[in-house]
Amino acid sequence: MKKLIFMMVCFAVMQVQAQVTRATLVASGLTCSMCSNSINKSLKTVEYIEKVTANISKSSFDIVFKTGAAVNFDELKKKVEDAGFFVARLSVTLSFDHQPVQNDQHVRVTGILFHFVNVKPQELNGEKEVQILDKGFVPARQFKKNQAYSSLECFKTGITASCCQKAGEPAGKRIYHITI
Amino acid sequence: MSMKFLFILLVLFFSYDAPAQELFAYTEPASNMAAKSIGIRINNSFMRETSLSRYRYHLNPEIMWGVSGKLMLHANAFFSNQSGSFSGEGGSVYVKYRFYSQDEVHNHFRMAAFGRLAMNNSHLHQPAIDLNRFNSGYEAGLVATKLIQKVAISAGAGLLHAMDNGKYKFSSNPKERNALEYNLSVGKLFLPKEYTSYNQLNVNGMVEFLGQSNFSLGNSYVDMATVLQFIILSKMRVDLGYRFPLLNNLKRSANDGFLVRLEYNIFNAYK
Repeated sequence: MKKLIFMMVCFAVMQVQAQVTRATLVASGLTCSMCSNSINKSLKTVEYIEKVTANISKSSFDIVFKTGAAVNFDELKKKVEDAGFFVARLSVTLSFDHQPVQNDQHVRVTGILFHFVNVKPQELNGEKEVQILDKGFVPARQFKKNQAYSSLECFKTGITASCCQKAGEPAGKRIYHITI
Repeated sequence: MSMKFLFILLVLFFSYDAPAQELFAYTEPASNMAAKSIGIRINNSFMRETSLSRYRYHLNPEIMWGVSGKLMLHANAFFSNQSGSFSGEGGSVYVKYRFYSQDEVHNHFRMAAFGRLAMNNSHLHQPAIDLNRFNSGYEAGLVATKLIQKVAISAGAGLLHAMDNGKYKFSSNPKERNALEYNLSVGKLFLPKEYTSYNQLNVNGMVEFLGQSNFSLGNSYVDMATVLQFIILSKMRVDLGYRFPLLNNLKRSANDGFLVRLEYNIFNAYK
């Protein structure tokens, strides 16, 4: 019972410490306002999104998530692809509490597993914008180029593999690769 | 229409530094509508009948469905006054699948395959095949669309096959039932100069070249169409078009005329 309470406290602390608050999504393949509106309307159907503000000329969408909601970045990508377009960039604002990071560091934020690549060793505190580098979150050509950052299997697939077991993560789970 | 006018129009299109548009009026681009969206179109065409010197009216109500981000369907009904009284004449279904996309911010290159099946019971009075107005038949083709900052350009080609319109026979020579259809379309956004909201009125201009060749007859036509398009509240479209022949030795009962299209899009029409 004591152990259970301890675990619950730990979990609660983690929830407070780390949050996914906002994101900026840049879509590719469009210039017209009707195309932009189809993405805008598609994103607005996502239940954990509080607000979407579109910048039509930049094809970008500022997204505010509902507080404490479980965010699914793959679903955001799918919403853009359903509208007939692609994600060119997804920058996510995460709030950290004195989190040390370095290359291949794994961090869990509200249940989402992140893997840092191409970062200098540092301590993150407060709100930081990170960019998701996984397939489908950057243009295909950029994804290919980014492979120079890491030769780990999970970076190619976005799924935890044997390379992640050192960090204590079982294989076969979704992992998002991010950089600052 | 002189070649000089054509040249001026093309120069105008390629010289403005504004984002391009590919929401063509006479043809479909390789891009599709959003998944789970429904579009409704009222297509009105007024074609000048050369022999009777009157305008023939065709009404084609159309419903469009974005099945997924890559697949869309259209269903179309045909009405006209070509027989003397206004009546229903048939319908068509159109399917388009986008199979290739290379997208970057503000540009893309896409390719799609399309097919059309039309049923029509109207009188037959021309060797040119028109699956949107006159003929029962089918078509299969490919379309490629390049969108870059300044210009959207789309090229398509399809093989057409005409069937009999019920009791009205198309042709006794089966080879004459086949034709090649092709198009080249260019589109441009003229207004607004700077996008600030979805409520802004967009004004687009387009030039389309629409051709058909019947190889067994050895005849072709190539029309040019000019289109002025208004997009209202980023979900409604009004297209005003005029088409006329540049080259015309494949006989048609009407060569030139106007298109007035109203379109309304419902995004996320269902869960």
